[in-house]
Amino acid sequence: MIPVLGQVFTAPSIDWWALAPQLILLGAALLILVVSALLAERCPAWFSGVVALVAGAGVFVSGFYLWYDIRDSGPRSIVSGALSLDGFAVLFTLLVAVAVVMTVLVADAYLEREHMDSPEFHALLLLAATGAIVMASASDLIVLFLGLESLSIGLYVMAAMQFRREEAQEAAMKYFILGAFSSAFFLYGIAMVYGSTGSTGLAHARDYLNRLDTAIVDQPWMLMLGFALLLVGLAFKVAAVPFHFWAPDVYQGSPAPVSGFMASAAKAAGFAAMLRIFFVAFGQSRTDWSPVLGVLAVVTLVVGVVMAIIQTDLKRMIAFSSIAHAGYILVGVQAGTSEGTAAALFYLFSYSLMVLGTFAVISLVQWQDGQPLDRFEGLADRRPLIGFALTVFLLGQAGVPLTSGFIAKFLVIKAAVDERTWWLAIAAMVISAAGAYIYLRVIFAIWRRPGAVDEEGGEPVAAPVVPPASGFAILGAMAFTLVVGFVPQFLIEFARDAVPVLLG
Amino acid sequence: MDVTTGWYLVLGALLFIIGGVGLLIRRNPLVMLMCVELMLNGVNLTFVAFSRRLGDIAGQTVVFFVLVVAAAEVVVGLGLIVSIMRRRPDVTADDLKLLKG
Amino acid sequence: MSILAATGDAGFAILNWLILVPAVGAVVVAFIPRGREDLARPVGTAFSAAAGALSVYLLAVFDGSDPGFQFESTRSWIADLGISWHVGVDGISLFLVVLTGLIFPIVLAGLDPHGDPKPYTAWMLVLQAASFGAFLALDLFLFFVFFEVVLVPMYMLIAGWGYDRRRYAANKFFIYTMAGSALMLVAIIAVVSLSASDGGITFDLNTLAERQSLATNTARWAFAAFAVAFAIKIPLVPVHTWLPDAHTQAPTGGSVILAAVMLKLGTYGLVRFGLYLFPEASVYFAPVLVTLAVIGIIYGALVATMQTDLKRLVAYSSVAHMGFVVLGIFAFTVTGLEGGILQMVNHGVSTGALFILVGFIYERRHTRRISELKGLQKAAPVMAGFFTVVMLSSVGLPGLNGFVGEFLILIGSFATRRWWTVVAAAGVILAALYLLWAYQRVFHGAPDEVNAETRDLLTREKLVLAPFVAAIVFIGVYPAPLLDRVEPAVDSLITHIEDNSNYRRPDQPVVVPAPTQSEDTGAETGGEG
Repeated sequence: MIPVLGQVFTAPSIDWWALAPQLILLGAALLILVVSALLAERCPAWFSGVVALVAGAGVFVSGFYLWYDIRDSGPRSIVSGALSLDGFAVLFTLLVAVAVVMTVLVADAYLEREHMDSPEFHALLLLAATGAIVMASASDLIVLFLGLESLSIGLYVMAAMQFRREEAQEAAMKYFILGAFSSAFFLYGIAMVYGSTGSTGLAHARDYLNRLDTAIVDQPWMLMLGFALLLVGLAFKVAAVPFHFWAPDVYQGSPAPVSGFMASAAKAAGFAAMLRIFFVAFGQSRTDWSPVLGVLAVVTLVVGVVMAIIQTDLKRMIAFSSIAHAGYILVGVQAGTSEGTAAALFYLFSYSLMVLGTFAVISLVQWQDGQPLDRFEGLADRRPLIGFALTVFLLGQAGVPLTSGFIAKFLVIKAAVDERTWWLAIAAMVISAAGAYIYLRVIFAIWRRPGAVDEEGGEPVAAPVVPPASGFAILGAMAFTLVVGFVPQFLIEFARDAVPVLLG
Repeated sequence: MDVTTGWYLVLGALLFIIGGVGLLIRRNPLVMLMCVELMLNGVNLTFVAFSRRLGDIAGQTVVFFVLVVAAAEVVVGLGLIVSIMRRRPDVTADDLKLLKG
Repeated sequence: MSILAATGDAGFAILNWLILVPAVGAVVVAFIPRGREDLARPVGTAFSAAAGALSVYLLAVFDGSDPGFQFESTRSWIADLGISWHVGVDGISLFLVVLTGLIFPIVLAGLDPHGDPKPYTAWMLVLQAASFGAFLALDLFLFFVFFEVVLVPMYMLIAGWGYDRRRYAANKFFIYTMAGSALMLVAIIAVVSLSASDGGITFDLNTLAERQSLATNTARWAFAAFAVAFAIKIPLVPVHTWLPDAHTQAPTGGSVILAAVMLKLGTYGLVRFGLYLFPEASVYFAPVLVTLAVIGIIYGALVATMQTDLKRLVAYSSVAHMGFVVLGIFAFTVTGLEGGILQMVNHGVSTGALFILVGFIYERRHTRRISELKGLQKAAPVMAGFFTVVMLSSVGLPGLNGFVGEFLILIGSFATRRWWTVVAAAGVILAALYLLWAYQRVFHGAPDEVNAETRDLLTREKLVLAPFVAAIVFIGVYPAPLLDRVEPAVDSLITHIEDNSNYRRPDQPVVVPAPTQSEDTGAETGGEG
């Protein structure tokens, strides 16, 4: 109770512990900025990286603490209904923490090699991560929008950080224009939902729909328009066709560690928002949005796979394959069941680790003229472990059993089959068979023995230097991919228990 | 004729559409940035109109958030444009085609 | 509970060890330090041979009179989805397991990979483990996992150690198979999901086969999806086109394994998962599959006749032989199925040996073009001798193994599919035509200068081929020990089909069915039910 100008202002009671992940990230970002600004040249080069690493690890630990806290005392709403603390939010917090740690480890040597400013990079990374976590836990559309913007603005700058390369600037410019464009759509969608339900709170919107049930909503077209605009805004963020144009350019032009962060944490945050909005808040009108998402999923899959097949630059190829993977996740989302949601969560978790690992390997092999495939020839011969790890990541993305990617694909297909959407299940699987070609091309290249007889010539390149931090990150991601492929039970349980709940 | 909230909504929608179309057809990065601002302001107007109609103050609070976010976007956007312009002075969006395929 | 603890009656879970020993071997080989690559093959062979010894031990302790699964071992894997590690062996899979156990060490020890031996050996061991797994799995999910995993090492073997157009061949092989199994995965999930209301979600093969809870129409769709996946793997015409490329471009060891073990996954899958899981649907679709099989027999033989590349010729002969196996399976008679299973083993032995011989010829002459080979008999008489025996086994000469298999298949299918059998019998004659003709062109005549210098087989190479020839003669002369162990399982499978469809087997599996009995007439048209 704080007296303000004679009136009594009742501050909302805030569960500070529940905000620990956001606070840690924010605090670390500010610490980096302040210390590096004050000490300037005297600030040791390792400082920001170590702080970011510790922050990532801290978020991971606090995430686990919250996970068991929720298990004991149940999910709850915090900051007077702005955020919800449930398993769903915490699982995404863990995912973002992993992405932050991986990105910091991979970026360490990369920043030095490319002469980029590491304090700014790390501060922006932490701020973007905060935005991602806020997105995943928001239970109010405006809070969600704020999370989305802090994530996006951080990423715009990170994409441009390699400012000596024109590609990076161009990528950042495209990302910025299209990102802002999609944010505007998302915001207009919020306005429509606000206009038709009278609140930006998701719980409020849900209750409103439940109350009306099948009765005609005051302005049904307005709410439908709101859905559509929210979907467009989020489809941009997760790079679903036909809102994917930015992704290949941006992934290709951005520094490899940033691309990895975009394909993992940023995509996951977009899907978290999508799941919270559509599955939780508008679950009642599942029949309205599910077919739309289904069609979106198939179109995304086809375009992603077909375009990936014709690429010659590895980063661009992975970008298109990342679009295709958004299609698989949409298959899980469109099921509109808790099983489908769990499948999508599982998919996001396992895909994130695979794509982070892939970009980590790519970041080792950096040339001025991009990453054409033949740069990777003979990689397995020169760096067997790295070559094997990349093979595991690619096989995982192709959905070969005994990798986490297979279980993920299996779960989303199962979610679709359980809802009897046969056409979608069959289409997704058949496309995945064609998609295998994308990854086989790369695998063939990296296992090509130098000097082997082949229909195509080409000199193998020198072995890349593997800094210990990157190597550690790559091996960690590989271990995760394989372990989850062999014993997926624990992650399935996590995903199952992390189905979102909505508290008003 | 009474000016109802509906007219404000239409105006907001028009601003949004003008901004969106402008962003798609204009090629100058600065004008594109202004178009984004126009879109956001269209949304702001919509929020305020709804807020009046619903008699709910929350809609107007949202506008403050949006203004702050828009300001942050402009900062980043202008920074990007300036750094590109410095390198390639007469750049238009059509010239941004290093990344293709 | 340890993963190795058996829940069956055996003291130790031999089947788990069968899968684990080569898998562990692969890891061990992968960690052999740089500079000691010479250790890779001996170590790999040792692990592979250990698994082979286990498979022989399995054969010795196998109870031939038991029609059910033996040495079963079950362990929950993904409890949420009712997925378990469930392995077991019965008469149908026993000899395929033994074949897998024996052929890998021979290939590893006897055939030079012509390249980096370390990854080659490691991938071979992975392939052996996964093949064991696929033959032993009694859980749909587990089977699918192994069925897909075999693709990776095979892809690597073709892509890494193959010939000039290996990239094309390896990609084609992988994507064809993956497309088929994509449909199968949807079907597996559909079967599980639709029968989950019937007592809980489970991927266990026996439980699902006993439940039979799918509607007739749904089961037919699901069977069709399974059949497409297996037809690609077998391969049946018209989805066979990956096979000649894969065989031709694969290294010799890869070709041998591909023919001897991996093609069997298709036919084995049809028996284990097609017939057992969807009895009614397999009876319904039998005419289609049998027709494709017969087309394959004739087409494979005709195309083989026209080949100019010796290895491609053998590859097309595979298409014809596998057609016989499918014909035998979908005869739905004990004799036919027995013949089909025996023929799977026979094809593995004789086609495997043929590929080895072609490999030896290539190593000497660096060509596989029939027109460039001539009169090798003069230069390499021992090789010619081996080739003759193996070729005659493939042709189906009485006294050798091929004859027993094909004869049983023809007898067994004549009772239920007379006209198809008549056409298929013509395929036997064609087989004699293309193989003998090829033999004549390659080995007969006076060798020109280059061919005259062809070296004869070395002792090592003779030792590689000896077990194949021994098996060819043994099965040809005395197939009873094999058939005795296969029969109970086959008999119970056909009983299972009869219980769950309107199919009734003919009274006696004889060449001339008794025309007076009405059941026989029913049986002949049983496929249309």
